[in-house]
Amino acid sequence: MKRFLSIVLAAMLLMTAAALADDVTITYMASQDWVQDAEMELGKKFTEQTGIKVDYQIIPSDQYTTLLMNKLSKGECTDLFGSQAGQFDIVTQLNVEKNAVDLSGEAWASTVDPLASAETSVGGKLYGQPVQDVSAVWAVAYNKKVFEKLNLSVPTNYEEFKAVCEAIKADGMIPVYEAVSDGWHHQLWFCEMGVAIEHAEPGTAEKLNSNQMGFADSATAKKLVEQIKEMADLGYWGDNYMANAYSDAAKAIATGECAMTVANQGFPTEIHAAYPDFPAEDIGFFVMPLCDNQVLNMNPVGPTRFIFSGSAHIEEAKQYLAFLAEPENIQYLIDNVPKFNTLPFIGAKDVYSEEISAFYAAYPEHGTVYQTSVKYVNPQWMEIGSELTAVLLGDETPEEMLKAIDRNRADQALAAQDPAWN
Amino acid sequence: MNKNRMYPTWFVFGALLLYGVLYVLPSLMGIGLSFTDWSIYSEELHFVGLKNIQTVFSSDYNYTHALLNTLKFTVVTTLVKNVLGLALAVLMTKQVKLLNFHRAVLYLPCVLSALIVGMIFKSVLNPRDGLLNRTLRALGLDFMALRWLTDSKIAFNSVMAVDIWKGMGYIMTILIAGIMSISPVYYEAARIDGGNAWQCFRHITLPMLTPTLTVTTVLNVLYGLKVFDTVYALTNGGPGHATEVLYTTVFREFSLGRYAVGTTLSSVMAVLMVSAGYFMIRHMVREEGDPA
Repeated sequence: MKRFLSIVLAAMLLMTAAALADDVTITYMASQDWVQDAEMELGKKFTEQTGIKVDYQIIPSDQYTTLLMNKLSKGECTDLFGSQAGQFDIVTQLNVEKNAVDLSGEAWASTVDPLASAETSVGGKLYGQPVQDVSAVWAVAYNKKVFEKLNLSVPTNYEEFKAVCEAIKADGMIPVYEAVSDGWHHQLWFCEMGVAIEHAEPGTAEKLNSNQMGFADSATAKKLVEQIKEMADLGYWGDNYMANAYSDAAKAIATGECAMTVANQGFPTEIHAAYPDFPAEDIGFFVMPLCDNQVLNMNPVGPTRFIFSGSAHIEEAKQYLAFLAEPENIQYLIDNVPKFNTLPFIGAKDVYSEEISAFYAAYPEHGTVYQTSVKYVNPQWMEIGSELTAVLLGDETPEEMLKAIDRNRADQALAAQDPAWN
Repeated sequence: MNKNRMYPTWFVFGALLLYGVLYVLPSLMGIGLSFTDWSIYSEELHFVGLKNIQTVFSSDYNYTHALLNTLKFTVVTTLVKNVLGLALAVLMTKQVKLLNFHRAVLYLPCVLSALIVGMIFKSVLNPRDGLLNRTLRALGLDFMALRWLTDSKIAFNSVMAVDIWKGMGYIMTILIAGIMSISPVYYEAARIDGGNAWQCFRHITLPMLTPTLTVTTVLNVLYGLKVFDTVYALTNGGPGHATEVLYTTVFREFSLGRYAVGTTLSSVMAVLMVSAGYFMIRHMVREEGDPA
């Protein structure tokens, strides 16, 4: 009897071991807001079809970049990782040729929108798969009902914007919901307004890239930082902006606490999904009018999925990316993620509302944001956030902030042995 | 030669080897790499002399601010944890109702992960909706409802306060053990001589606890110098750079791919810790050897 029991137990142990051996789990690490519920639903479907489980490791946004870069620096990472892309940064910051897997041979690679593809490729090889809607731009989302009630119109320059904020403030509302604690949002007012710098001082991006000038040499850049600080000092961001989190932006607008926030064009659907009584059509957009900007700030790149070159499950990770890129799954994501109006894949059907189409049409002049068109800006995104926070607190001057950005850029360029800096 | 010695000298070689390979060698390699331009941006290493050391102590960067913050954190938390830990230890060795319950409650925070403590206090110290400010406002103390973690002038004090709250129970436990080991005979003799509670504490408890207090000081100093998790979880070095300490800066440098500068900062810290540790241990050994 004892012997029989031993054999049964041994057989069970072996079967369990075999089952565990077949049970592959791939891990995908990303910043919060980059993995949507709809993607996790697709992940479950993927597991049903292939037996491969997907473990999503979602990291707070203020810690993500630091954590990812530390992991990569030590030669370790999850099977898949998310990161902002950009033709310069994926080379200098991520070193994708070493740290990521070449995905050019994948069937879906040719379906990536050419503009997005260019920002995730090095030497003609595609290394990443776009995660989000890159057609959307970061602009000021405003509550149209509040504007109607106070008889306000969309501002076209900074002075008009200040007048709008004063009127809203006088009515007892916080004009702008801003979230500094996340560490990634408030610097949008600066980096996205690279288009304003370029408009006022044409050729600046090129000069910054060739080290002929720094941000500290740009009068418009200085004016931008001064106006950002002025907005905060005048109380347009309320008194809790340092502790606010961006995840509460929809609540702040829906409850009428605030009238505006910087958001992208998925925001109306997002707010309506969370607060069904608040119609998506009640949200309108205008470009950030700092330095009297009227140029639409385009960014053909955003969070991107990469497969870590040291992963033990490269093939399984490739299967996951191929699954996500299937046309019906792309469409599922567009239809089920409120903030997606489209995805940068050929054949994806967009769901732009008339309001959003009208917003894009209202700004015929387009420019590319500096975190994409200027080298060594995006890798120090969080650092720019810290510097700007120091300015808002009065611990630094705008000049010191711009000099710090230039110094960090120079450090990175020198380390990368960029000929323009050497 | 002392023939009564229990173990031969060569027994120490195993431990020395492990210590050498796992601690000393990486530290020396770190010091070596501090003289290079090691970074994520280049596969090649070049000797750059003292450039990184100059960078670390340059006024153009915030590193000296982080170094000073680290030293301030070490001094303040060590002092306050010892004082409060001692006060609690004295209290928790008296005849108090539910003594073990109170001891457990005071010890509990140090069992919690620093990240969890960080998340809880981020919520508690939220200027608008946090428990602390809501309570203060409910009590009519609006003027005391400050921006605990978002005002650069007080954020570092808040971080230190949270760390003291978390760590003083641990110090209290060590000191309780120290107090319990003091023979009650001394106190009885003092009472017969008419000594009051303060005199008993001043002339019996405190002198007899000195070796234990030295241990808690060493532990606190070393912990303070290498603090990272509490600051990281509460403020991540912010707002701005107000609460940066050396190890959050090292972590940031590595994330920016500036490995050489990060390693230089680590090496500076290692030298500081070795120096502090050397003098403190020498002091402890001298105390132990002192027949008085």
